Amino acid sequence: MIEVVELTKAYPDSISGTFKALDCVSFQAKPGEIFGLLGPNGAGKTTALRILSTVLRPTSGIARINGFDVTTHPDEVRHCIGFVSCNTAIYDRMTAWEMVEYFGRLYGIPKDRLSERMHRVFEDLSMMDYRDIAGGRMSTGMRQKVSIARAIVHDPPVLIFDEASLGLDVLVARALLGIIDQLREQGKCIIFSTHVMREVERLCDRVAILYRGRILASGTLAELAEQYQQHDFEELFFSLLNDSDRDRKAAVAEALKSLSTNGAGS
Amino acid sequence: MNWRHVHLIYLREMRDQLRDRRTLFTITVLPLLLYPLLGMLMMQVAQFKRDQSVRVRVVGIEHWPKDAGLVETTQSLDGFARLTAELEREIGSESVEIHPDAWPVDGSVDHVVTLARQSLTTSDFDAILIVEPEFEKLLADRRAKVKDLPPQPSSDPPESSNSSTTSSTATSEDVLSSGVETDSPGLQVVANMARDRSQLAVRRLQNVLRVWQQRWVSQELSAAGINPVLVEPLAVKQNDTSETSMRRAMLWAKILPFIMLVWALTGAFYPAIDLCAGEKERGTLETLLSSPARRREIVWGKLFTVATFSMLSALLNLLSMHMTAGFIVEQLASQGTPQLAEAFGRLPIHAFGWLVLLLVPMSAFFSALALAVAALARSTKEGQYYLMPLLLFTLPLVTMPMIPSLDLTLATSMVPVSGAIFLVRALIEGRITEACIHLPVVFGVTAICCLLAIRWAVRQFESESVMFSESERWNLQSWIRQVWRDRGAVASPSEATLCGLIILVAMFFSQFIAGPSTLAWETLAQRAVVTQIGLILTPCLLMAIFLTRSMRQALRIHPVPIDQIAAAIVLALALHPSYVLLGQAIAGTIQIGTETQRVLETVARLINAQPLWAVLLVLAVLPAVCEELTYRGFIFGGLLRNNGVLRAVLMSSLFFGLAHSFLQQSIAATLMGVLLGVIAWRTGSVVCTMLIHVINNSLSVSLGWISDRQVALPEAAEWFISIDQGQWHYQPAWITFSVVLSLAMLAILWRRTPAAERLAEAELV
Repeated sequence: MIEVVELTKAYPDSISGTFKALDCVSFQAKPGEIFGLLGPNGAGKTTALRILSTVLRPTSGIARINGFDVTTHPDEVRHCIGFVSCNTAIYDRMTAWEMVEYFGRLYGIPKDRLSERMHRVFEDLSMMDYRDIAGGRMSTGMRQKVSIARAIVHDPPVLIFDEASLGLDVLVARALLGIIDQLREQGKCIIFSTHVMREVERLCDRVAILYRGRILASGTLAELAEQYQQHDFEELFFSLLNDSDRDRKAAVAEALKSLSTNGAGS
Repeated sequence: MNWRHVHLIYLREMRDQLRDRRTLFTITVLPLLLYPLLGMLMMQVAQFKRDQSVRVRVVGIEHWPKDAGLVETTQSLDGFARLTAELEREIGSESVEIHPDAWPVDGSVDHVVTLARQSLTTSDFDAILIVEPEFEKLLADRRAKVKDLPPQPSSDPPESSNSSTTSSTATSEDVLSSGVETDSPGLQVVANMARDRSQLAVRRLQNVLRVWQQRWVSQELSAAGINPVLVEPLAVKQNDTSETSMRRAMLWAKILPFIMLVWALTGAFYPAIDLCAGEKERGTLETLLSSPARRREIVWGKLFTVATFSMLSALLNLLSMHMTAGFIVEQLASQGTPQLAEAFGRLPIHAFGWLVLLLVPMSAFFSALALAVAALARSTKEGQYYLMPLLLFTLPLVTMPMIPSLDLTLATSMVPVSGAIFLVRALIEGRITEACIHLPVVFGVTAICCLLAIRWAVRQFESESVMFSESERWNLQSWIRQVWRDRGAVASPSEATLCGLIILVAMFFSQFIAGPSTLAWETLAQRAVVTQIGLILTPCLLMAIFLTRSMRQALRIHPVPIDQIAAAIVLALALHPSYVLLGQAIAGTIQIGTETQRVLETVARLINAQPLWAVLLVLAVLPAVCEELTYRGFIFGGLLRNNGVLRAVLMSSLFFGLAHSFLQQSIAATLMGVLLGVIAWRTGSVVCTMLIHVINNSLSVSLGWISDRQVALPEAAEWFISIDQGQWHYQPAWITFSVVLSLAMLAILWRRTPAAERLAEAELV
């Protein structure tokens, strides 16, 4: 169960003073559900998911996972999530088995249970063939599977996938979506960020469209189609982005205008 | 802190590093190969140098006395002559090619010298020996003088004398050289001493001449019916109290710590880069950060790994070097240089034990430093750039103990790294008691350094801007705009540090600009004003104006409750006896040089000749106000941010101490600065520390002034102070009581009102 309320992350910026990577973002995701976070590059997806995985601290707002706040109880949060991102690579000089075992032991799983669990995970993901191959000599697809095995070895209730299909070929990407689908059936709460619309259409129960640190719209695909009277999801996405840009430009022009009139008045 | 996590991370990182070919090569294979190879090269060079013969031309060989020849009369085919068999036997393996030449017809001595100079540049001779026509006559004169001497009762020559000193041995050369300088020398050597080979030739030639002279003298004395035993060199038997192993230890104890610690640093640096920047680059750091391991645990796991490699690297280098040196020395000993073999023989095993003991904390310190620095880098390539600054910071500390005259004292024991090296050297040389005396200080300094370095590393890993820094294009203009736009109410930690450094640099250069000091009250007062206002307060105020939004907050001028003000005043009065005792203790351990002592006395006389109000204004009020606003105000406030209480207290007191000119003053001021820092932190203001500073300085100055003028004190004061012949002392009862009183006052200053608590919390943000 993921709960995010008015989450904001601001960075100091040399040009504008502060840059808000996330601006009052709120959403929820329930067990047995895949929540999609859709947005172009730089929209703030990675920042949001990094905060959820306690790697970054929010500037303001609340993020809770299974009832644990990410700022006050980061240790508990890390125990109940599995985090797979395009930035969470695997070790080159460790085999798949060693890698997963290492993280399993960091999670504090007892040795006998760990070995049993690893056998199951490796078989589920059909990774037995390359369990003794070092990370450096694996293909991208193999690495991604090892990452997933690493993230689910402790059987967490919440899984976070950040652009997990980035750089994968069609076959592997398809397999990945299959795995995530299975995980949903096991009752996991999954948050899945991507910039590929077809993945959202195929996988997500509910979706939020993130752009420039703000959520433009959220709901099930059907709800969104209803609300914006647009049944082509790609068209819907672009029209939302365009509207947002137009509003922003208008706001900037407004601000400049008021500034110049104020300047003339004083 | 979950040590199971630390253990797991340590095991993984170790395995990872051991699977890396580059690391393994640099840590293990390189030292094992490097020293034997270097050793081989050295042996070759030594061999070459020994076998290398020098060519000496002898002009005027016919002037050499026939009865004590220098060279064999039969020349070899290639033009050079062999030394006589006796000479060659005594000189040994050093080879000198002598090319005898006749004196040119009608040549004056000057002319021959000029010719020799010219021929030295054109020919391939390394030196030219000129035997003047007078030479044989000079020798004959000496012979005649010996025969002229009236016979004297001779005492038994001392064949050996027992002495522990290593004085030089007297030779026949010294006995006979007295007459030579007054006359024409008879022999001249022409050589170009800027050339290595010429130097070697002259040295060997001198040796040949010395041996020849000895033989000649013996021969002459025998001829005159005197036993030549009289002029044989005195053999001084040396009774050295040190054992051979100790002498070896002394030599190695200077060299080995340096080599060991340099390797400990480099051995720490490369794994550190791989474990921080390398992991960032490969993207595995975020995987680890999102795992259950806390940042602190990750740092400790990595720290143990880096320290292991640092120690391994240092130890392997040490052993490899020492063993190679041992072999080389044995080789040299068998080839006829036993002194060298003696000096560089195998190190006693206990010395290795002490070195390993030194290595453990030093590796920990270097590893934490390397880890913290490497965390800054985004890539391994960027990480390599940081090795230089790190070396620049640590190398002086490692090199300092090699300076010949320095040894373990209170002052040197307080220097990080160097102090520990001095201590270990004392242990190796067997000065156990001395080492034990300084152990607490060295241990304390080393422990503090290690802890601070580890703390820094942990903070680096906890900082988002360090862990997730993204390269951005840096631009001076937008940076200045950013600094101006984002300036806070209080300085930032880096701005505060910069302020402290600027003041130190300004003071350093002002020493040269100020020129020689004419000791007069005017110059003294003028210099105090320039230093305090110009060098300390002005940089601080300028930075406060341009870098902060509120002067009052930046300088920490906040109101303080009246009871704390009273407590500060009482504390200042009660603290002064302890401060005076501290000053005396420091002066007792670190002697003030006589020159400095003289200057200080003159200054004291000058001060005591002035009206008291002027003295107090210039030496008590002015420094207190300027220094407090700067060190407990601007700098302290900046360093306090981001929860930097410890940093603020330590660094501000260090800057404060360094701004004093004498070492003794600096130490006292640093310690005082720590106390003032704590008070400044608890009270959240400069008001109390300023009061304490003013009163402390005033007491020091005015008590001296009063006792010097023999002004009568009111009777009540006798309870505190006794004045005796221009010297004042605190009464022992008051000293004891003052300590208790100080503690009580500190307790009052420690308390905070809710408003002060809020202010203090706001300061830590």
